[in-house]
Amino acid sequence: MVNMFSIKKEIGCYITCITGSSLLPLIGIHIFLALLLFTLYLKARRPVIRISSLIAAQLFMLFAIGTVVSAMQCSQMLTIEIYTVYVILSTVLIMLLPKIYYRILIKRYRAQPVTDIMDWPQTFVNTLTEKAKVYYYDSAVPRAFASGKSIFLSMGMLELMDDLELKAILAHEVWHLRHNNKTPVLRQLSLMTFTKNRSENELELLADTFAEEMVSETAVESARAKLN
Amino acid sequence: MVKLDRINISNEGLTKFFSPIEAQIMEILWANKESTTPEITEKTGIPLSSVAGTLDRLVKAGYAKREMDKKGQRVRYLYSATESMNNTANTITKKVLDSLVDTFGKVAIENFHTYNNKK
Repeated sequence: MVNMFSIKKEIGCYITCITGSSLLPLIGIHIFLALLLFTLYLKARRPVIRISSLIAAQLFMLFAIGTVVSAMQCSQMLTIEIYTVYVILSTVLIMLLPKIYYRILIKRYRAQPVTDIMDWPQTFVNTLTEKAKVYYYDSAVPRAFASGKSIFLSMGMLELMDDLELKAILAHEVWHLRHNNKTPVLRQLSLMTFTKNRSENELELLADTFAEEMVSETAVESARAKLN
Repeated sequence: MVKLDRINISNEGLTKFFSPIEAQIMEILWANKESTTPEITEKTGIPLSSVAGTLDRLVKAGYAKREMDKKGQRVRYLYSATESMNNTANTITKKVLDSLVDTFGKVAIENFHTYNNKK
């Protein structure tokens, strides 16, 4: 190899190119805004503000990375090449996964359409969203989850909850389905900016809020109480 | 297999062969023809979070079986023991004897004879 990779050389490259670049103030502003938004994310209480500030912070991080890359004058930067491959691979994987994963879940849990045993859950879900299918599977452990265009309920969940509570749970899962096309983006942003995706709790809270609006606050609360 | 692979001789009663929760649930299943999940949690006083997983395991291991019972727009499981208590005792005894003979051969068999004579 003629150009042996040297991390020292590459770091030197970054320093020379960035400090000599007219883009330096822009990079600074991006990083400053990203840090500001991360602080807002850490301080904020409301789930919507937390999630949006996290996304905005990650976007500014991404802009900063992009500006740094465009400021580079050196050729054959191995770190940039690795990062590009990493971004492309992870994007493809994360965007494809939800389209395949629910099929794996159906097989793994030997899930059956809920309409085989009762009609109303599917009818109720149809009023909230299009093309979502409700499945049930054989397990006494009360669980509900959503993936792809499917909602899964365990028999234990169907046994445990009364109709209103089940509606609340279904609405909660429908919220996840409706936003499923966005949650991979959250994960992708975290991967690209090397920040941890900590939005799970916020997403659950937002899903609960939706369920409260669609069904009732008491139904969500009693369902939650039964599960704890 | 629930716990038969890890027999604990120093434990009391059925918990030699089952975990305490498994034993409590099996006792109820043997005593009743059919049991629902709420009945089992009520009679054992064990929270659903523990009972549900244990029931899944007992069904998977073949000690318990469940049927789905549809009542209008409600569904529930009806649990029952796969075999009577005596038959299960039989199965467990055979397995233990097999493993004793497998490990100790003649010595184990000689012991069975003297055990029988003592009675």
